[in-house]
Amino acid sequence: MFDILIASFPLLMRGVWITLLLTGSGAIVATIFGVVIACAQLFGGIVLRIAAEAYLYIVRGVPLLVLLFAMYYALPYAGVDLDPMSGGALVIGLYFAAFMAEVFRGAILAVPNGQWEAGRTIGLRTPRIVTDIILPQALRVAGPPYINTVIMLVKGTSLVSIIGLADVTFVGRQIVERTLAPFEVFGGVAVIYFVICFALSRCGAYLERRTSYVH
Amino acid sequence: MSIDSVTAALAPVEIDIRGLSKWFGAHQVLKEMSTEVRLGEAVVVIGPSGSGKTTFLRCINLLEQFEQGEIRIGGEAMGYLVDPQTGRRTRRTERDIARMRAQVGMVFQSFNLFPHMTALKNVALGPVRVNGMRRDEAEALAASLLARVGLADKVDAVPGQLSGGQQQRVAIARALAMRPKAILLDEVTSALDPELVGEVLDVMRQLVQDGMTMVIVTHEMAFARAFAHKVLFMADGELIEHGPPAQLFGDPKTARLQAFLKRFKEGYQL
Repeated sequence: MFDILIASFPLLMRGVWITLLLTGSGAIVATIFGVVIACAQLFGGIVLRIAAEAYLYIVRGVPLLVLLFAMYYALPYAGVDLDPMSGGALVIGLYFAAFMAEVFRGAILAVPNGQWEAGRTIGLRTPRIVTDIILPQALRVAGPPYINTVIMLVKGTSLVSIIGLADVTFVGRQIVERTLAPFEVFGGVAVIYFVICFALSRCGAYLERRTSYVH
Repeated sequence: MSIDSVTAALAPVEIDIRGLSKWFGAHQVLKEMSTEVRLGEAVVVIGPSGSGKTTFLRCINLLEQFEQGEIRIGGEAMGYLVDPQTGRRTRRTERDIARMRAQVGMVFQSFNLFPHMTALKNVALGPVRVNGMRRDEAEALAASLLARVGLADKVDAVPGQLSGGQQQRVAIARALAMRPKAILLDEVTSALDPELVGEVLDVMRQLVQDGMTMVIVTHEMAFARAFAHKVLFMADGELIEHGPPAQLFGDPKTARLQAFLKRFKEGYQL
């Protein structure tokens, strides 16, 4: 039964490459935009706060699949024609940015108010307090839920097979269509996702240990 | 009156507070407080819980906003400027407020050390970031201040590795590192285990003797009695009585202070 898996290994690895590429670029977009949204919510004026909140509600209330369809089928009518790869990475990134924003916002709020006050009393101003005192502590808090969100993102990338990107799920389906061996092939695909996510979890646990204050 | 307090009475006013009033919503927590702290003076604020002592202290470096009155530090208005013609009150720029906060150190009940930095870096941060000191100079200053509070061997420890008393002494060193005009201490021994209170009071006593200008909110009556130059008694947001400790503790004039001191004495005898 492993013959099919071994034979299709190179093809599957090409799919893995697309999945990892989407994960990486999606995570970068999600992280950057997530920080921006969290900052808008926490430090922005009333307009920015409302815009950020509105964004969160909309994105969290619409399935990723629908957003992918919208990007792929509807945006071209609006004159925006993205290739599936950058479009997919962008949609995935912007979608998970909403979850990232909550992770970062929660982490910043988890830093006790006394830390802000201690910074103020030595004459530091807000940007410096954020970079020197709040973020280093918030990032430690954010670590585990951040990794959790990235794991959700990895699995979310499987939806891009719908818009024609040859990620590992797409490749798996094609192999099944030719070999009629769904059990082996999808089993293999599942193991691949599991390995990626498990590796991420372990990295997260390692970072958590490394960055704790007291050893 | 000791020679000490005579010279203190002639010293220039470092913190001048006139008609300070503050509201939390409709509730007035500070009522027309006026007092002054002279250079080298240790002023201790006592009073029952909820009397506004901490709020008063936090107004001095604008951790709390206040709605009326004026606080001057070294002659400069803290937080707000009043237009002499129109009487309109405007908040000063964040830059000005930060600059003035740097001149007034503060030590908190809950230490508020930066948990991700060593003791040395906690103390050196302000001098580097605010005063623009070179990092090696700032760390040398920090090391000498930590030695002064008895923590020469703890420079590389992070706060989580230190006892409460040690953390509080680091916090005092952090305040001193800014070479402030005055230091505010907000119930700095209240969160400590009883056997650790002494080491922090020792450092405070040393500061009084070195002539550091201080405003101290505390429940340590013995300390107030022995080392304060002036004691303020507050209740319900009002300054009820003030004067040298011998007078307030020995011959309290108001019924409220008498009742407060009586409760304290009874508390100790339990």
